[in-house]
Amino acid sequence: MSHLGLERLTRRFPGTATPAVDGISLDLPQGALLALLGPSGCGKTTTLRMIAGLEAPDGGRILVAGRDVTALPPHRRNMGVVFQSYALFPHLTAARNVAFGLEMRGVPRAERGPRVARALELVGLEALAQRKPRQLSGGQQQRVALARALAPQPDLLLLDEPLSALDAKLREEVRDEIRAVQQRLGTTTVFVTHDQTEALAMADLVAVMNQGRIEQLATPEEVFERPATRFVATFVGRAAILGAEVVGEGMLRAGGATLLAAETPRPGKAEIFIRPHHIRPLAGDVMAENVLPGRVLRRVYTGDIITLDCETAAGNLLAEVAGGSPGAALQPGQEVRLGFAAADLRVFPA
Amino acid sequence: MIGLLLCLPAALILGVGFVWPVVLLARISFNRTTDMGAMEEAWTLDTYARIVTDDFTWDLAWNTITLSAGCAAAAVALALPVTLLIRNAPPRWRGLMALMAVAPLLVSGTARIVGWMAILGDQGMVNALLTGLGITSDPLRLINNLTGVRIGLTESLMPYCCLVLIAGLGRLDSRLEEAAATLGATRSRTFLRVTLPLAFPALLAAFLLAFVLGVSAFITPRLMGGGRVFVVATEIFDLALETVDWPAAAAMAMLLLGTLIAAMVLRGVLTARKVAG
Repeated sequence: MSHLGLERLTRRFPGTATPAVDGISLDLPQGALLALLGPSGCGKTTTLRMIAGLEAPDGGRILVAGRDVTALPPHRRNMGVVFQSYALFPHLTAARNVAFGLEMRGVPRAERGPRVARALELVGLEALAQRKPRQLSGGQQQRVALARALAPQPDLLLLDEPLSALDAKLREEVRDEIRAVQQRLGTTTVFVTHDQTEALAMADLVAVMNQGRIEQLATPEEVFERPATRFVATFVGRAAILGAEVVGEGMLRAGGATLLAAETPRPGKAEIFIRPHHIRPLAGDVMAENVLPGRVLRRVYTGDIITLDCETAAGNLLAEVAGGSPGAALQPGQEVRLGFAAADLRVFPA
Repeated sequence: MIGLLLCLPAALILGVGFVWPVVLLARISFNRTTDMGAMEEAWTLDTYARIVTDDFTWDLAWNTITLSAGCAAAAVALALPVTLLIRNAPPRWRGLMALMAVAPLLVSGTARIVGWMAILGDQGMVNALLTGLGITSDPLRLINNLTGVRIGLTESLMPYCCLVLIAGLGRLDSRLEEAAATLGATRSRTFLRVTLPLAFPALLAAFLLAFVLGVSAFITPRLMGGGRVFVVATEIFDLALETVDWPAAAAMAMLLLGTLIAAMVLRGVLTARKVAG
């Protein structure tokens, strides 16, 4: 059953030519985590703010558990929000921050203490309950913000780039923690991020946004492996882009070679997208559905993965090979045959 | 080194125009007044003793402090909503609104008081309206008394409060108020539980600045009090130019200066503790 529903939600800021959010619709099942993924200015934060009631839409509806909340002020929506800057109350201790939402919702004092303790325990901060926000590290502040948002048992948890202020190592740790807590409580969640790794790692559903519209709404696997549009293919993950021409159903010409693709648009100029991990340097006379001969230009060694930048008649291709696999020993200047499956090609009209 | 050199002109002007006169004033305060009323060079604390043991001085000090504290509090209370309005206005209007809030500072204090006379006088706008509407038969005495001084002083302190509050509240993150709203707080509870506590240091700073300016105010009590309201500053003026008792005027000025410095130091300590706390 749909827990959060957006219907043609639109927001146009005064004095701007194009809407910040342009009629987006989606349904999110109970307990799911949706990532709104896109570049800055794509409307993802505006969408989140409209769901929270901090921004009024110019059109469309917001439904929570079938109830229209579009006209409700934020304090009557029962949503937990974690802001990018955390927005912890600097004059209150961690415990008082977490208690704030309970108090505002009229939870009796006797009940508040145990619930605050439980919320802080959930994020592993029970020992720091009496600290003020400025006495906490970034990661700890982040956890307090999460506990504060979750303590009143919101219908919906909304996270606005909650990891962007953390350093890389901590980001991964907190990311997994947020996901674990969210799954344990089963809180339906919307998560705004510009980081595709975050979106792919955490979400049940990813909505890739661009210029106020949703380009693709699908599972992380689907978005990564089968991008619906050229924008999704370039924004999510790395991809080699080759110029080509569709010559028939499932057939392309690129750099003098004939390639097979599972799906092709109508004949004419096209662009091919291939993920680096789908491309294999072929040893000896091993065959593949598609083969492009080329030459290694550069070799980047990053430990578990070796990235080969290869030149072919159709354009440059990036190939990722695992250390120790065939191709891992290839050096710049060497000839190579690059193979890839028809199903791994995505073709968009140019 | 260059920085110090560039500060030299300002230091020179301050030294000649401010520090030196204060030093002269301090010197005069140690002189003696003869029974004939003439000033006699001396190094004595007689004048201070005379002032401090005089009950009139303490009445004057009490009146000055209560008047200034009351007007400073009123000015802060009136400036706060103005500042909040400016803060929540669209960014392109903010500059203009802030300018309007502090615009009275650009008008001479005397000119503003003449304006108040036209508004508050017996035949002024307020009384014309009240009698015209039949609300009162006799004009209200709104000027040339303590009421007039209170009105004028509060108005003259407000722009300073606005300046301090605009700077202080500008640093207040509006996300905090949004966070409070998402946690279920109504607008009034958000104001009481989040905005006001966070604005407190700025409110305190504004109050203390207004208080210090109020204590040392001369023109407003003099002109809007109509000679019937006595505060420390008017008394110093009277001692110097009416009674021509320079040592007494100087000693009282030094006592006032000391009080103001103490108030500023207290303010520094309070804000420092707030930051450290």
